[in-house]
Amino acid sequence: MAISPPTGSRTRVAVLVLASVTLLTVGLRDAPVVREVREGASAVIDPVEGAVDRVTAPVRNAWHGVTDYDDIQRENDELRAQAEAGAAAGVQTSDAERQLAELSASLDLPWAGNVETATARVVSGPRSNFSHAIEIDKGTDDGIAVGMPVVTGGGLVGRVSHATGGSSMVELLTDPEFRVGVRLSTTGDLGTARGQGRDDPLSVDSAISPGAKVPEETGVVSSGVDRSAYPPGIPVGTVASSRQGSGGLALDLDVDPLVDVDQLSYVTVMLWTDGG
Amino acid sequence: MAPRRLTPLRGALVLVVALVAQIAIVADLRVVGAVGDLMLLVTVAAALTGGPDRGVTYGFFAGLAFDLVLDSPFGLSALTYAVVGYGVGLVCGGLFRPTGWWPLAVAAVAALLATAFYTGVGHLIGIPYPWEDLPAITAAVALWNAALVLPVMAVMRWVHGPTEPDRLEVVLR
Repeated sequence: MAISPPTGSRTRVAVLVLASVTLLTVGLRDAPVVREVREGASAVIDPVEGAVDRVTAPVRNAWHGVTDYDDIQRENDELRAQAEAGAAAGVQTSDAERQLAELSASLDLPWAGNVETATARVVSGPRSNFSHAIEIDKGTDDGIAVGMPVVTGGGLVGRVSHATGGSSMVELLTDPEFRVGVRLSTTGDLGTARGQGRDDPLSVDSAISPGAKVPEETGVVSSGVDRSAYPPGIPVGTVASSRQGSGGLALDLDVDPLVDVDQLSYVTVMLWTDGG
Repeated sequence: MAPRRLTPLRGALVLVVALVAQIAIVADLRVVGAVGDLMLLVTVAAALTGGPDRGVTYGFFAGLAFDLVLDSPFGLSALTYAVVGYGVGLVCGGLFRPTGWWPLAVAAVAALLATAFYTGVGHLIGIPYPWEDLPAITAAVALWNAALVLPVMAVMRWVHGPTEPDRLEVVLR
């Protein structure tokens, strides 16, 4: 048995699919009109979202209490252990901080404090399964612009992808479209890290010889090479594994991000754009 | 039956409420690491109650509204939901009447189709959404869809009245 819709249905589906493909094409070219329309929609929907968010918070908290109970318990155990270790490490840390401050002053490292920052609260997480963006409560009114790096004390979180007066969207480093130039903290080897989705490590295409050994836990920081979108030295992650890249000419690395992007409450926007 | 002049307003109201609920509530409630998709749910319910015409129309506008508040490629949700809405409406209008528990199964299958279509088109346009995430996303969306499709179908009947225009238009061969 075969089915066929009436001619009117065919016309309608053809028109709407064609319209979708046209929008997709225009959107992929990053047309200003799409950006403006999205910003307008964001300005309208954000206050409504905020109000509903506040009203429904108890329900969502109850849900998290049920579904995330094991995670919360594990985090509590980890935090307790960290607090105990932290007391012992306090003396060492203060000395290390003093040395780092002196080093930073002499080398002019932006990550270490020469860049102005704005601290923002995360007001919503990714809105769909294919979205890798969070919304923060600071925008252009606070000096934030598209492209600025977003970090926490742990390291790189992502970059500002949209900004309106009072809020911004941050593209997370787990986004498959996200790219950042990186270098290994031990050898200085360069590469490009890209997101591979939620819960997956970053993939780094490097120029490292396939015969070389890259130890696990090796630190990876932003390279900040010429015209980079990020200042140098922002901690990105640690090497989880290495393998021969396609073609066998170089190593590809899997890098675990230092920041857990699912657990963000506050982030810091570095008021830094390409070229400083 | 709902006055015809109120139908577009009611339809728009349903889409706006679904959008706000999606981004303010559902997006924060993860099941097996993924979230539900109310915009797809509205599309499927529209297709189940009204056939391919209604399915593709709701799919397009639901996707377009969702695209406005996402950072993902503009138009991709509209394309996905329009195609899925049309497909669900066509199959359910032409091959069998989705009564009883069938809408739950249809809504769950639609979750798989939509997720696979979105991921596939993403790859075509150069965005490598991980295929490994497909099972978890499908499971979460299917659960939400199956749980809510019957009430949302009732809402669609409130919007459009108890008519079945497309079922009468579909020609069986």
